[in-house]
Amino acid sequence: MRLIEVRGAATETRRQRQAHALTLIVAAVVLLYGLNLRQSTLEAVVPYVNIQAGITAFYPQNWLLDTAPDYVFRVRDMTRRGYKTTIQLSVQPVSDDTSGRNIADRLALTRARTFTGYSVLAVEPYPLRDGFSAQAVSYTYVSQESSPFLQGIPVVVVGLDIITISRGQALVITFRADAATYRQELPRFEQFLQALEF
Amino acid sequence: MTRFFPRLFWLLPVCLGLVLALRAQESAGVDLERIERATVYIMQARSENLTITCIGSGTIVRYDGLILTNAHHTVQSESCTGDTLIIAMTINLEEPPVPKYRAEIIQADIGLDLALLRITREFDGRPVDAASLPVLPFVELADSSAVTLDETLTLVGYPAAGNDPVLLAPSVVTGFMDEPGGNGRAWMKVNTLIPAPGVMSGGGAYNRAGQLVGIPSAAPAGVVSSECLLLEDTSSDGFINSNDTCVPVGDFISVLRPSNYARTLIRGAALGLTVQPITAPAFQASAEGAPAFSRPFIAPAVVDGLPSTVIGSAPAGTDSLYLFFDYAGMTPNTVYELRVTVDGVPNRVFDLPPVRWSGGERGLWYIGVTGQPFPNGVYEYRLFINGTVATSLTIVVGGAATVQPIFSNIVFGVLDDAGNLQGNGYVLPAGPIATARFVYQNMQPGIPWTAIWYYEGLEIARVTDVWREDFGPSGTYPVNIEPPGGLVPGRYRVDIGMNGLLSLTGNFIIAGAQRGVALPGVFNSIEFVRATTPREVTDASPASNYPDGAEALFLRFDWELIGRGIPWTLRWRIDDEIFYEQTVPWNSPESGADFIVQVDAPGRLPDGTYTVELLIRDILLATTEATVGIGQLAIDELAQPGGAQLRGQIIDAETGRGLEGVTFVLISDQFSVGDFTWLQEQIYALAITDRNGFFEIDRPLRIGAPYSAIIATDGYLPVAADGLEVAPEDTSPIDLLIPLTRD
Repeated sequence: MRLIEVRGAATETRRQRQAHALTLIVAAVVLLYGLNLRQSTLEAVVPYVNIQAGITAFYPQNWLLDTAPDYVFRVRDMTRRGYKTTIQLSVQPVSDDTSGRNIADRLALTRARTFTGYSVLAVEPYPLRDGFSAQAVSYTYVSQESSPFLQGIPVVVVGLDIITISRGQALVITFRADAATYRQELPRFEQFLQALEF
Repeated sequence: MTRFFPRLFWLLPVCLGLVLALRAQESAGVDLERIERATVYIMQARSENLTITCIGSGTIVRYDGLILTNAHHTVQSESCTGDTLIIAMTINLEEPPVPKYRAEIIQADIGLDLALLRITREFDGRPVDAASLPVLPFVELADSSAVTLDETLTLVGYPAAGNDPVLLAPSVVTGFMDEPGGNGRAWMKVNTLIPAPGVMSGGGAYNRAGQLVGIPSAAPAGVVSSECLLLEDTSSDGFINSNDTCVPVGDFISVLRPSNYARTLIRGAALGLTVQPITAPAFQASAEGAPAFSRPFIAPAVVDGLPSTVIGSAPAGTDSLYLFFDYAGMTPNTVYELRVTVDGVPNRVFDLPPVRWSGGERGLWYIGVTGQPFPNGVYEYRLFINGTVATSLTIVVGGAATVQPIFSNIVFGVLDDAGNLQGNGYVLPAGPIATARFVYQNMQPGIPWTAIWYYEGLEIARVTDVWREDFGPSGTYPVNIEPPGGLVPGRYRVDIGMNGLLSLTGNFIIAGAQRGVALPGVFNSIEFVRATTPREVTDASPASNYPDGAEALFLRFDWELIGRGIPWTLRWRIDDEIFYEQTVPWNSPESGADFIVQVDAPGRLPDGTYTVELLIRDILLATTEATVGIGQLAIDELAQPGGAQLRGQIIDAETGRGLEGVTFVLISDQFSVGDFTWLQEQIYALAITDRNGFFEIDRPLRIGAPYSAIIATDGYLPVAADGLEVAPEDTSPIDLLIPLTRD
């Protein structure tokens, strides 16, 4: 048997050491740029303006936007597996006697009829920017695939309604997400609230 | 936003290749799977404990959950006491149905044994959110008048009490049976190649194009011929025995109610239109006394709903016979049946199995066939009411045709000064006199004949004479009725006999004031008015155009000399298609003004041209029309039949396992992937995969339309494709297998 001994290379030149350092720096810069690009892409927002309702909002990019008679607008993250994280905004007329708590109770009664396992978790004050006060209602229910021909497994959803009354109408801002990812997703909603103008 | 798409991993060849390669197996172009999925199993149950009281099949006829079925197992009755309807659907074709929804009856005609249900609740009782209800598979109605003798049909329904998968039973049309209002085919007789149990009643019968031509009907006929299934321990005594309530089902399917009968119901229900006669709400008179049949006789043909003549025998080669009879005390819940024997042997060709009664409380009825060869023999017709023989008649068919004196083709009117008969034939105005004119042939002088006139079933006049030589052997002859005090509103009949035997009979109605010689002024001043509530109608101004968004239409008319109990018909059309037709006994004073009818719909009335028609005995007596909005119905794309269903499975490319909760976005053919900006209006349909990765696009894809698709989910490279197109030769459903590569 013949043994071959492999030794380390001869001492690097200065230029080589500089090249290695530069490579590492460039790689780090590119990585940071990539991470920044990814983060900016993930956090990118799109404006939504509804002059009739007097609402300006910025919702996450690549979320599906739709409108319906029941709400001013709704956006959903269709790339999310399972329950699609949702932000929805609706307005309701109110009288001078209507309080945020009345709206919360009405929502609870309505949803108890239509949502499986609907349960209110908490009702508490929620400060909005610009000094607006609001009621925050957190709740949970079970969402199920609507197609009768598929074997969908129900998903536990956690929701949060922010209810505020302004200029004769109640604004209900709703956030819903899979219970498993609710906390992870909540900053998106808080970012949305911060930018919301009504 | 635009940066998102260049980074997509394009798998166009994969998707497109799969679309083109994975075809469904049906060779005839009929989407049998769609039909099977549109067929539902219906359980009527008591709401307090969900005990099943009646069962049957049904068919989804509209994407939003409109179900066509029989009334006998859905409408609450003595034998079906439940108040909740549970809808079970086929999830896997080889397996029994699974309860999914609850439904409510929105339209029903108990006599025709048809009912329309709408899915309103989830199975657990929560209201269905209309916005989230998927586009359900539905079937298209055919023109059932185009069905031919010996045509092959496929009966589809559930053969057992929820234990078996949906059954397809090939069958052949063996004949058509006629009843009043049936236009020659009130029922289609079928012979199934495999037995089709009574639970399939309410399902569907399909032609080769996969269109619904008839509704199998088999009403339980009480104790004699029906079956009653013991399914549950309803008495809670720990045993299933005679103490428990059983579930009645009919005999094997042998007749179909043609689908044309259901068109009006479906039209009205689809548009959500409700017609309310405000002045006299529609009602069915309660029957007096026990149901009974009487005075049976045979006629070779029907002319304007009346026997052409009355015969005691028929020659060899006869291919048309009708059994006429009087009826009284009948209700829509009554079940009647005709059994025919030829030389003592039951003949199923001329039978009518137990079916619901659709003729009102009393009157003259007929049932018969035409275009069907009658073999020589002695025919015994036996009519049953609720499983018990009600009346019978025997007639001989055979031998050579002989020349015999005949009275035939009776018609009614008023003679003008020139001796011509005037009028519309069967509805005459109140006045001093009316005339019946009939055709006579082969008459001989000296033959005794009689004419007996009846008013509301009571004899009011009789003429007895012998045939005179100057009348001649053939011609037409008028007989008059001129009672003291004139003809009052009501129903009249004349029986004309020869040699002591009934030879001809006919009936007519006196209603309305005389206009000209013989035209009746029954309904007058008919007009639409501009009002928002019934209270405003009397003083409202006439209108013929209503703005877009109108919430209700109000109709106003006056009436004159209509006897109580006279059947009258209120018919509504929208864009020339009937969406409401109801014939009920007149239930208001004999004359009056401002009869009000309201038409409305949830929200707002659909745009269209609304026409109302008032009839008595199918004779149009008054009509008017009004337009709403643009005067034309909007096109509902979802309601259009055809197209192909797209479904598939999304899997992990590495493991081959189905991916749950992934969204398949099918972009409208107006946009490409590059144009797509995540707006709902750009999307044709969305689907989310189930626990095994399967998804279904609920809306059928239009043939030749170039769709695009995006699948993007956490942890996997996105997939997008343009040019997803269904070719005309493709058969539905189209299956895709889409592998996703990990990010």
